[in-house]
Amino acid sequence: MSRRVAVTGIGIVAPGGIGVPAFWDLLASGRTATRGITFFDPAGLRSRIAAECDFDPAAHGLDAEQIARCDRYIQFALVAGEEAIRDSGLDLALENPWRVGVSLGTAVGGTTRLEHDYVLVSSHGQRWDVDHREAGPHLQRAFAPSTLASTVAERFEARGPVQTVSTGCTSGLDAVGYAFHTIEEGRADVCIAGASDSPISPITMACFDAIKATSPNNDDPAHASRPFDADRNGFVMGEGGAVLVLEELDHALARGAQVYCEISGYATFGNAYHMTGLTTEGLEMARAIEGALDQARLDATAIDYVNAHGSGTQQNDRHETAAVKRVLGAHAYDTPMSSIKSMVGHSLGAIGAIEVAACALALTHQVVPPTANYETPDPECDLDYVPRVARERRLSSVLSVGSGFGGFQSAVILNLPREKTE
Amino acid sequence: MSEPHPRRAAVTGIGVVAPNGTSTETFWKSTREGISVLDRVAREGCEHLPLRVAGQIRDFDPPSAIEERYLVQTDRFTHFAMAAADLALDDAGLDRPATDAAPFSVGVVTAAGSGGGEFGQRELQQLWSKGSRFVGPYQSIAWFYAASTGQISIRRGFKGPCGVIASDEAGGLDALAHAARAVRRGTDVMVAGATEAPLAPYSVVCQLGYGELSTVEDPERAYRPFTAAACGFVPAEGGAMLVVEAEAAARERGAPVRAVLAGHAATFTGASRWEQSREGLAEAIRGALREAGCAPEEIDVVFADALGVPEADRAEALAIADALGTHGTRVPVTAPKTAIGRGYGAAPVLDAAAAVLAMEHGVIPPTPNVFDICHDLDLVTTRARAAEPRTALVLSRGLMGSNSALVLRLGAGDAS
Amino acid sequence: MSDRITVEELSELMKKAAGVTVAPEELKQRCDSGFDALGIDSLGLLGIVGELENRYGTPMPPDAEKSKSPRQFLELTNSALLAGA
Repeated sequence: MSRRVAVTGIGIVAPGGIGVPAFWDLLASGRTATRGITFFDPAGLRSRIAAECDFDPAAHGLDAEQIARCDRYIQFALVAGEEAIRDSGLDLALENPWRVGVSLGTAVGGTTRLEHDYVLVSSHGQRWDVDHREAGPHLQRAFAPSTLASTVAERFEARGPVQTVSTGCTSGLDAVGYAFHTIEEGRADVCIAGASDSPISPITMACFDAIKATSPNNDDPAHASRPFDADRNGFVMGEGGAVLVLEELDHALARGAQVYCEISGYATFGNAYHMTGLTTEGLEMARAIEGALDQARLDATAIDYVNAHGSGTQQNDRHETAAVKRVLGAHAYDTPMSSIKSMVGHSLGAIGAIEVAACALALTHQVVPPTANYETPDPECDLDYVPRVARERRLSSVLSVGSGFGGFQSAVILNLPREKTE
Repeated sequence: MSEPHPRRAAVTGIGVVAPNGTSTETFWKSTREGISVLDRVAREGCEHLPLRVAGQIRDFDPPSAIEERYLVQTDRFTHFAMAAADLALDDAGLDRPATDAAPFSVGVVTAAGSGGGEFGQRELQQLWSKGSRFVGPYQSIAWFYAASTGQISIRRGFKGPCGVIASDEAGGLDALAHAARAVRRGTDVMVAGATEAPLAPYSVVCQLGYGELSTVEDPERAYRPFTAAACGFVPAEGGAMLVVEAEAAARERGAPVRAVLAGHAATFTGASRWEQSREGLAEAIRGALREAGCAPEEIDVVFADALGVPEADRAEALAIADALGTHGTRVPVTAPKTAIGRGYGAAPVLDAAAAVLAMEHGVIPPTPNVFDICHDLDLVTTRARAAEPRTALVLSRGLMGSNSALVLRLGAGDAS
Repeated sequence: MSDRITVEELSELMKKAAGVTVAPEELKQRCDSGFDALGIDSLGLLGIVGELENRYGTPMPPDAEKSKSPRQFLELTNSALLAGA
């Protein structure tokens, strides 16, 4: 008999909302957290807007040493991790540390610090033979992507399987999916799962500029991220992190833990098509959704809500609409599907975990978060995208999907545990 | 799980691009003969840096291995990955028509720890010296850790489960284990492994912060694990990809089952806490043996992590003894990576490749440059040793604190 | 560098930015072939446009990167150069 996996704790650092209450308030109210970039002077860039976190690490309990050593994206993970563990009520001192794992995703990892120190060692890009004497003391930690999972595992004294996952923009979904499989397969009883990224830096903004993937709606940042809207013109960069405590269901029930929901299905496939391009048919994403449904032993008509990747690029939103229709059939038209990237931007590897957290909260509140800024229908995107206003709805099974550069197509299914719905 | 799994994961192909050989044959010949290729770092822009010795690939000609349109959009680490994947698939006898017939049944998983550093440095230079308009369209897909998995999937048309483990050195073994689990879950073929290219100037600067990095100038003395002269590790580039396939699927198409990925476990004991890695590595070994249904005495050879830091070497020797008991002091142990350096996530994948080849050829490759062992281990030094290993244990630890162990069994003898 | 983008320059950029080798003579004959048939994808075309913008110091029309064929591409980009001159 296979082991079931519960979500027992959630922690969030997101633009417009640090901590679960503020984050959910933002989603439920349909406000947007996108604005002109303040972290550096974006002059010269095509897209000069982003969803930035107003994040003060000291106010969230990190000490001076943690702040100095840890890149911003790791600080997000530590703060979200603290909140998630506290929320779960788990006393880690009572757990067998070899049965506690960590699975965290990031797309670009320590890029921001790598760029910062690069500028120093290269004299502003003037030399290939960089001068190591100008490098900061923690550069090697930014270089190694595994610093993310490692730092969080050290903080919570996890000694089981610890891994950093980096599948581009599906990193967050995949990190949660890998953690789910880790517990399901019996390799751990508890897994600290999630993702984090802080990509708002000149090099990352410039590299998405170069392929015109980001929105140039610089004059109206609050309404720039327009998933599924006919006038959408790219995604708005974001940052943030989410951590979930995943736990074997009986383990959670035995200690009387609150159970937000179960994670019951996960699958991922490659599209073998293009590093950045998507097909119009969405066949591979459809396959991922079917795989997740199979694992969850659910029929497609059981899906009550689809949390979309909904990045707001022309091709993504078409692709995804086609994929969902391919699997859900006529039921797709009766199923609300929304993109929280309209509000919190697209934080690359982090967003998948933030979206899984949003799904868990949607199940808890029985509320579907909206797609902000959705005004003008696109004939090719003809589903119910929950325009601008959150909606109360009976939810028991929800689907979160994502696409990533490299062709990754992933799907995760969450549902209220039977014990809870009966 | 002590019962053998109904969908066992077999190794049916090996592709290597390493400092001592850019084909599986040359790699094995050089590994068996114990030829060290560690050398002074000769990379433009690295001459002045305090890293003196590395394992560098000199005879790899990207245009002869990879189409130019893939070369322009990828970093060196992905060039290695695409080439190694081709070699592995050829070795497994899986050609394009075979995989095109069922694209969803072939997936890719790589481990990546250094990313596309050379490509990234070039584009950073464009940005900071000329401006954002001079950053090209491929930066967004060349620098990130997922580049190799994505490009292999696209170039070969593989639509199965695709993954990327961006963990530390031990991530290489975790990627192989990930592939084995995907096979058990129903995917017929996984192309799995790791390649790294950490020798661009800025990447080297980043690594200088590792206290474990060897900065010794003499290639013969720079990387000498398990000796009193241990002074850290030497980095390397390159790596290996393996074809991991459902045993039944391999037999059905008449492909030889060369080895079976029988057991794996991973633990974590903290970054650079080498003394604690003893307990973590021992726990990983026990877990891998348990999953493989393997008694300690069945282990015929150990491919050691061999970090080359005295405290870490001691922890590893003790972990082997803790987990294997008295057998731990008798079993032959080897670390052929002293000939080529440690290619981060790629290092244990090369060890897994060498372990399969060692079992097939009935010989345990030596540990070059290492004499006068100061630990209670039967380390195979100087010359290869004739043996008939049927079960191998591969160990890996990462600088960020991961410990991983993999049990491989020789394939043919397992035919049932 | 001339004041017009020639087939020769496009051929050179196709190699540099997209890794696709088509000799100028052949490109002249295949000027109406689709870029996809020539092996140039969307990122490759974006790279070519970016390189031209930096060389000539002027923005290219937004439709340039969506051109279907070399002929269409050269007409669009050269009209932008003429307009900017």
